Amino acid sequence: MDRCRRIIAVSVGVMLTIFSVAIAGEGIPRLTFAQLVDSIKAELEVTQKIKSYAGKEVEIHGFIVPAGLPDLSFFLLSRVSSIGNYCCEAPVGQDETVYVFTAKAPRITYDPLKVYKVRGIFEAGLERDRVYGISLFRIRQARVEEAVGAKILKVEGVNTAPIRQ
Amino acid sequence: MTLVAVAWKYLLGRVMTTALTGLAVALGVALLMATFLLTRGIRDSFTAGTTDYNLIVGAKGSSTQLVMNAIFRIDVPPPNIPYTVFERLTVDTRVEAAVPLLLGDAYAGFRYVATTPLYFQSFPWKRQVLTLADGQFLHDDPPDQPRFEALLGWAVAKQIGLRLGDRFYEGEEMAAFPLTVVGILRPTSGADDRTIFMSLASFWEMNELSREMAVKPLTAVLVRPKRLSDIPILHREYNVLPDTQAVLPSAVLLTVFKLLGIAEEVLHIVLGIVALVVFLYLFVSMYHAALERKREIATMRALGARRTTIFSIIVLESCGITLAGGMVGLLGGYGVAWLGARVIAARGGIALNPMMVTPMHLAVLAGVVLLGALAGLLPALLAYRTEVADNLTPLS
Repeated sequence: MDRCRRIIAVSVGVMLTIFSVAIAGEGIPRLTFAQLVDSIKAELEVTQKIKSYAGKEVEIHGFIVPAGLPDLSFFLLSRVSSIGNYCCEAPVGQDETVYVFTAKAPRITYDPLKVYKVRGIFEAGLERDRVYGISLFRIRQARVEEAVGAKILKVEGVNTAPIRQ
Repeated sequence: MTLVAVAWKYLLGRVMTTALTGLAVALGVALLMATFLLTRGIRDSFTAGTTDYNLIVGAKGSSTQLVMNAIFRIDVPPPNIPYTVFERLTVDTRVEAAVPLLLGDAYAGFRYVATTPLYFQSFPWKRQVLTLADGQFLHDDPPDQPRFEALLGWAVAKQIGLRLGDRFYEGEEMAAFPLTVVGILRPTSGADDRTIFMSLASFWEMNELSREMAVKPLTAVLVRPKRLSDIPILHREYNVLPDTQAVLPSAVLLTVFKLLGIAEEVLHIVLGIVALVVFLYLFVSMYHAALERKREIATMRALGARRTTIFSIIVLESCGITLAGGMVGLLGGYGVAWLGARVIAARGGIALNPMMVTPMHLAVLAGVVLLGALAGLLPALLAYRTEVADNLTPLS
């Protein structure tokens, strides 16, 4: 009887833990590169819809392009890998990249072929910086981790709704 | 007499065993610290010494060789690319700055690097600006009017002893083209300290092959785009060309760090085994000490010492050995790292600064003392349980 109670208690505990983690992750919208591309208007303006995410925490999946120092305190997040020279789609520039500023140097192993999940405070709109130049989309105080099997290409039915962890 | 004083007397009573055990601890800690300081120093040195340009365009081949040679002046130069690649980049509206580099032979072990004045120019995105300690920068020589001027890195001037106005050449074939020192750079703690700069025109004229070439050669071009978001497309464009590759310097360094990380993991396993061996050695040493002193312990007990007092003395002895060994090991680790940095600088050309102080030092010391306390626990328990009557019987 005691053993049975213990099993039930442990099971309930595990379920509560999973539930609380899921609740904690709910509400963080995931943006896709397709959404970013669609939001760009003439003269490097962006739509109000994408601006509505500004100042909020968002999640974006993409490939890391190490454009800054090798501590990855700053990098570009791209829809395409930086080593895929002879296949897939070619990058077309501004709309393909998000400028990522990490909260602290991420403890990840960089792999140009892996997709990474970046979460941080989103900024949209033209910004000119002395060091980083002109940018349209930025994520600050970012946290980075590997995202296995993430969809990042512009395909039909891509899930852009708030995600569950 | 305090417990610490009693423990100290006991340690002095078997000074050879104490010294050897402490030495084993010191060697283990020194190995750990030296490994940490050197690997951290290598990473920091590469990070600090890397370029602020985002792309390097060079000949097809090894991207690591291109970065190591063009940025850190290590390894042999990769094959040349035609000057037209640089011309194409200078007229590209997406490019803010393109700096040509031509790496060649060396004088007294210091690499010749031919470039233009743009290499020394200040930009808001540059972390460090090259400044003069003496003299002037190179002139922008027209291709057919080389001045054969040399701008020396700080280490070159210091180690060879060249001064402003000195003329030098290496090898008989270079006697017709002596270089004249026109400037000396301030120290940068980077590869530029170990470089002899000259103009492209001077280099092309000095080299028998390039002198005759219609399209002059280059080793690499450093590229900074106006918008960083153009990096991926520029990267791809110059990679799909038949003669060139474009490299992200940070991507190459991250790959090097990844390999370094694998080596570090292997070292961590080795260090774990070393720590275990040291722990066992300490344990055996303390255990034997406790066994040998059963009679003394029984005497102390008979004179009124409590069991906890005996227990504490043994643990203090063990902690004392590891504390002393740990401190000597920390200093030894710095010594080994300093020597290692000198060897790496001499052979590999990377200037390391392993003399850093981090919170890890305290953590290591605390960990070693904890290890000592753990190693002393069982012998202390043995002493704690020593029966007075059993161990005070006459010896004969």
